[in-house]
Amino acid sequence: MSGNNEEASAIVEVRKLVKVFRDFWRRPKVRAVDGIDLEIRRGEIFGLLGPNGSGKSTTIKILLGLLNATSGDVLVFGRKPHDVETKARIGYLPEESYLYNYLTPYETLDFYGRLFDISSSDRADRIGQLLEMTGLKHAATRPVGEFSKGMARRVGLAQALINDPELVILDEPTSGLDPVGCRQVKDLMLALAKRGKTIILSSHLLADVEDVCDRVAILYNGSIRAQGSVNQLLEKRESVRLTMPSLPPDTMKKVLAIVKEKIGKEPDIDHPSMNLEQFFLEVVEKAHRSTSEQSGAAPTEAMAGYLTKE
Amino acid sequence: MLSLRVVGGQCFMMLRIKQFLAMAGLTALEALRQPICFLLAVSGVVFIAALPLMIMHTFGEDGKQVRDGALAFHFVFGLFIAGHSAGTMLSREIRSGTASAVLSKPVGRELFFLSKFAGITAVIVLFSACAALATLLSERVAEKFYSTETLAGYLPDAVTGTMLICAPFAACFVAALVNYRFKRPFASTAFITLLLSLVLVLLVSGFFARTGRWMPYDFQVQWRILPVSILITMALIVLSGIALTISTRFETVPTMVFCSAIFLLGLMSDYVFGRFAGSSQLCGLLYAAVPNWQNFWTVDALAGGGTVPLKYVVSAGYYAAVYTAGILCLGMISFRHTEMK
Repeated sequence: MSGNNEEASAIVEVRKLVKVFRDFWRRPKVRAVDGIDLEIRRGEIFGLLGPNGSGKSTTIKILLGLLNATSGDVLVFGRKPHDVETKARIGYLPEESYLYNYLTPYETLDFYGRLFDISSSDRADRIGQLLEMTGLKHAATRPVGEFSKGMARRVGLAQALINDPELVILDEPTSGLDPVGCRQVKDLMLALAKRGKTIILSSHLLADVEDVCDRVAILYNGSIRAQGSVNQLLEKRESVRLTMPSLPPDTMKKVLAIVKEKIGKEPDIDHPSMNLEQFFLEVVEKAHRSTSEQSGAAPTEAMAGYLTKE
Repeated sequence: MLSLRVVGGQCFMMLRIKQFLAMAGLTALEALRQPICFLLAVSGVVFIAALPLMIMHTFGEDGKQVRDGALAFHFVFGLFIAGHSAGTMLSREIRSGTASAVLSKPVGRELFFLSKFAGITAVIVLFSACAALATLLSERVAEKFYSTETLAGYLPDAVTGTMLICAPFAACFVAALVNYRFKRPFASTAFITLLLSLVLVLLVSGFFARTGRWMPYDFQVQWRILPVSILITMALIVLSGIALTISTRFETVPTMVFCSAIFLLGLMSDYVFGRFAGSSQLCGLLYAAVPNWQNFWTVDALAGGGTVPLKYVVSAGYYAAVYTAGILCLGMISFRHTEMK
């Protein structure tokens, strides 16, 4: 009964959240979050959308207890954000990959793994899988300070998943990643959600959000301007799109004539095309198969086993 | 039920201890891998090792000048290492966001803060070990009156001196080789090899007499210098606690300014506040609040063959522990409310 209740209940509840940043003399400087209400349920991918400075990252940091709310209520897993135990169930990828420059990816993941109650054998196993998944196995002994932004991002993503979290908070996860990495992150989010994990995705890359999110909230100037399921928000109920194999010219003419008669004007017709992301992924995949040397992050389709285990 | 609770409590404590050790270890590693920290440590040891070459007079007591100078170098370079490591570590982590990344894990702020202190303390102890060994050896190398059946005069310990001067360079050479062969970071490896090379010099030098001849094993170093080195190390730890506490609220430059001011006030504490502590409550309060560095600077006690009694070291250690605990409590309260970037 309690399990069912937990499943139905919200993982994150935010009521009338306000955050005012103050200057050295405690005078109000910026009202970064202005009366936000949110409810994020188990197993959904929730998108926080908004332009730069709209309050997305501030909201996330309040959820993690890194910033103190000026007013309002915040509950994560039914507890206050500062609660240390709650954080064992959360994985967080910050906006910038905040890493210790002198550590290697292996040392970084080992360090973060040691902050959780994970046995050393499990830790080593998970680190191996995560390095494989993020394509950094060949760079595991290089200091992360030498990495490109995209490679550092991959280490950041790996550290966020080391504890197999129930709630994953990803702040601009695809920033700095190549299209292969972006696709991989999106696939990972979908795979995690399939396993019942809850994901909060903050981004201003609309295509990323549209691809994976169940629900979104659009923030502007610290407050929510629109909230709902992606389909609900984007659907144009007054128009319809049909996709079918190419028809013989005569049949096509007949179909168009019927449609024109019904709607009173010429319908828009075009040929569906592959999008640039799909095309790019195909080209890179072919190139990867034909070369063996790799200096940057290696493209990989492997998903860390412990993340996909039912 | 009770046994379950105990087991749960033990697991909780074990996890906290593991987290503490992981974060303290990382802090120490980060500090050791900073080139500036390594440069300060090596420079300090090289200066101490070179003192016998520069001081050619004894002022009535063999080795006094070298001993006093070496301990002064220990204090000064230690101050730079403690101030730099403690003053920049936390503010840099808050500014760069690594503190946010760690605190988003199941880690309490108090534990994070204390682990930073522990990590920096480990670095200070490591440096102090190097400086203390170098001081012992340097004092041994210094010119001393030496007489045999055929000669009498002032004689430096040339063999030990050569080994001592070579030790930092040998440490760097080994670290470079390890870096080349195993890709281990140079600075932290060199720091460790520096300590090992000094231990090696101390052990090997026991086989040589002042004239350079083999002799039955004898350390021939003045162990009475060690309590003074330990007291200096305590002062450095207290200062690092102060710097770390200030850095919870301020950036690196203001932290350094405040630390310098507190250090200078602490040096003059007896004169500025101590004289009036009995008659003025404010002066009494300030006398207690500002750390009195004179308690830790006992070099003069070694003059004329004197020693620092163990009882004094223990009471100074008690003072340092209480003061550091107090300042760390303030730091934890301050850090609890610090907003992460």
